[in-house]
Amino acid sequence: MRSTFMGLEINKSGLFLQQSALYTTGHNIANANTLGYSRQRVNMQALPGYPSPGLNSPKMPGHLGTGAEAHSVQRVRDEFIDRQYRQETNKLGYWEEQTKAIEQMEDILSEPSEFGINKSFDNFWQAMEDVVANSKDTAARQVLIAKARALAESFNYTDKQLKTVQSNLGAQIEADTNTVNSLLRQIAEINRQIMAVEPNGYVTNDLYDARDVLVDKLNEYLPVQVERVPSGGNASPVSEGSLTITYRPVGSAEPIILVHGKEFAEISINNASGKINGTEPLEPFTEMLVDWKGSALADIVPPIDKLNSGAVLAINESYDYSTFEPGKGKLLSNINSYGHSNGQGLYPEMLDKLDQLVETFVTTFNALHQSGYGLNDSTGQDFFEAGGLTAATIKVRDDILPEDIAASSELGEQGNNKNILDMAKSQTEVQVGLNGATYQGFFKSMIGDLGVRGEEAIRSEYNSGTLRLSVENKRAAMSSVSLDEEMTNMIMFQQAYNANARMITVVDETLDRIINGMGRVGL
Amino acid sequence: MRVTQSMLSNNMLRNLNTSYGKLGKLQEQLYSGKKITRPSDDPVIAIKGMSYRTELDRTTQYKRNIGEANTWLDTTDDALGQAGEILNRVKELVVQAANDTNVVEDREKMQKEMEQLKRQLQDIANTQIGDKYIFSGTQTDKPLYVDGVPNPNIVPGTTGLDADIEIDVFEAVRINVNTPGKDMFEEIDNFMDTIITTLQTGTGEEIGELLGDIAAGTNDSLADIHGTLLKSRADVGARQNRVELMEQRLDLHEINVTKQMSMNEDTEYAATITELVTQESIHQAGLSVGAKIIQQTLVDFIR
Repeated sequence: MRSTFMGLEINKSGLFLQQSALYTTGHNIANANTLGYSRQRVNMQALPGYPSPGLNSPKMPGHLGTGAEAHSVQRVRDEFIDRQYRQETNKLGYWEEQTKAIEQMEDILSEPSEFGINKSFDNFWQAMEDVVANSKDTAARQVLIAKARALAESFNYTDKQLKTVQSNLGAQIEADTNTVNSLLRQIAEINRQIMAVEPNGYVTNDLYDARDVLVDKLNEYLPVQVERVPSGGNASPVSEGSLTITYRPVGSAEPIILVHGKEFAEISINNASGKINGTEPLEPFTEMLVDWKGSALADIVPPIDKLNSGAVLAINESYDYSTFEPGKGKLLSNINSYGHSNGQGLYPEMLDKLDQLVETFVTTFNALHQSGYGLNDSTGQDFFEAGGLTAATIKVRDDILPEDIAASSELGEQGNNKNILDMAKSQTEVQVGLNGATYQGFFKSMIGDLGVRGEEAIRSEYNSGTLRLSVENKRAAMSSVSLDEEMTNMIMFQQAYNANARMITVVDETLDRIINGMGRVGL
Repeated sequence: MRVTQSMLSNNMLRNLNTSYGKLGKLQEQLYSGKKITRPSDDPVIAIKGMSYRTELDRTTQYKRNIGEANTWLDTTDDALGQAGEILNRVKELVVQAANDTNVVEDREKMQKEMEQLKRQLQDIANTQIGDKYIFSGTQTDKPLYVDGVPNPNIVPGTTGLDADIEIDVFEAVRINVNTPGKDMFEEIDNFMDTIITTLQTGTGEEIGELLGDIAAGTNDSLADIHGTLLKSRADVGARQNRVELMEQRLDLHEINVTKQMSMNEDTEYAATITELVTQESIHQAGLSVGAKIIQQTLVDFIR
């Protein structure tokens, strides 16, 4: 036999449920602009019918409905889109940093312009032609020395500036490492909170969102994968569990674990003398060290068997440059620009080529200069300091006098300009030391190379930015709050609430009839 | 597909950013007058630009060198011209002296003038540009004559007296600008001595023979010497022509390179401004459409 007040109970549950739905709508609206927030919905379900089967169940027709309840509050999210989003984020992070590094290099080299190394070279050769035309003229010779000094200083300046940026990149790597470590720690902390709450049956939607934001951010720096590990106890079926963050080095069979539950590893990016931090000497990157020293390993090891990916725990293991997946993540991009494995990388290579140019130039030029005679019959002298064979150290001899410039090919012939003609001619001569290019030809090919790399970086940045936006839109289509939708829902839930209230009034009136109106015949 | 406010604003933001980027680029092109400001804008234009700059600097320098070559050649030409004048005067005097009606005093006077003319020719042999003696080969610091006699510092075997001085006037083109004159002026000087001696001692017939019309080819004669001088001068003239031609070629080359450089990297204003105006209107449209779409939601209609 059904209960007298069953009708009230049914609609009370309806009132409560619609109220929960309204509040969730309110929460969605409040968080419409929260970064990383996914809209939430109340999963509604009907309460079990009456009567429930049993030996003493009353015999009556039908399985009478008893109302509704909120089964769970769940965020609307697609893990697959998240994975796509993070892949594009890897690439965007890489190309963003590459573009920045190349842009800075372009700014320093400032070509084509009226004040770069190329122009200094031009000025130098011009001054030399003036000496060719006026080999005896001390003023022209003085100008040549001044222009040579300007050329040397152009090299010195460029070298210094490039090294400054390289050192900044080193500092950037240190900052990136700290960011990555901080993200790993924060993810582990959220894992800890989630693992404490979920066994009680709660679904911690807002913690999931916060954690996903961190994972997104982590992927800007380092491409990582995630794997869900369900919580034990009385966890809800829609709960997401703790996240295990893994990183797969290229050429390695299993991914390595960076975060597992509330435990986390620390990475450090090292060169020969310790952590890279932008201090001199700017030694190249050698290894990425993954270290679990801060954690109680016994807590981590057993549950790892449960992972699908077969990830392993890497305790204090080091990974060299070849283990990075190319083109992914800010960290790798900055390592690429800063330098790695024996002078490779954007900045070391550019510095190397400058040195190569300077070495060939100084050696060839000094040899030519040595074979001639100055106005004061000096011979066999260097023009540039013999020891200054790098862009940092190239220098015109301090004690060189205008008369020392060996313009003549013969002793004691002041009007002889044969030797300086030869020196001037070397502007257009190909050099074996420069892979068969002229000095300026070699420099131009350096600039061309840089330009092509820059062009590629800018294009790739734009492309990955566009791709990420389209994935971001897909994600937004799934998860972001639409105010129109929330308004519609609001009206829907409000009306349902009102209808429930009206139902209660109806039940109240029927009860009124029974309680107050029955058994009073004729009154 | 669900479309939400954040998607609209994300899209709008990115499109506006891209549009601003394009406007910025166009603005930069218009301000700087250059299509590119960094190699990554267009590596090919950048490299070509560097080459054209070098080419232009070299052309400027070659033109400067040509100025120098002109100074040398013009001065040499002048000097040789003057020497020719003097030889003409010498000829006049010798013709006059050959006349046996001259008394001894007359020939003495002529001899005096001859000595002056000899010194003048020596001065011409010492012609300078700045502090350079132009007829001394590459020994430009050494005059050919000092105090009326050959420079004692020029000992026999001194190198470079007949060496050329060359100047670059174009890529792989050199012009020798000097005229080594030691031998020629020595010849002239010696001949002047012969004239002076002959004037002292010789008969009219002997003096007449100096003119070279009578016993040509047997010995130095005035005609031979004049011939040598003219040959030198003709050579200088030929080189002056060459330099002039080269100068015209350089002018043309400079114009060509400047034009190519401009075509390579200079902003085409008409096209760029048109593009800017188009881009501006696209930007305007984007802004106003964005403003319309973003502000309206259902919230505005539920009361």
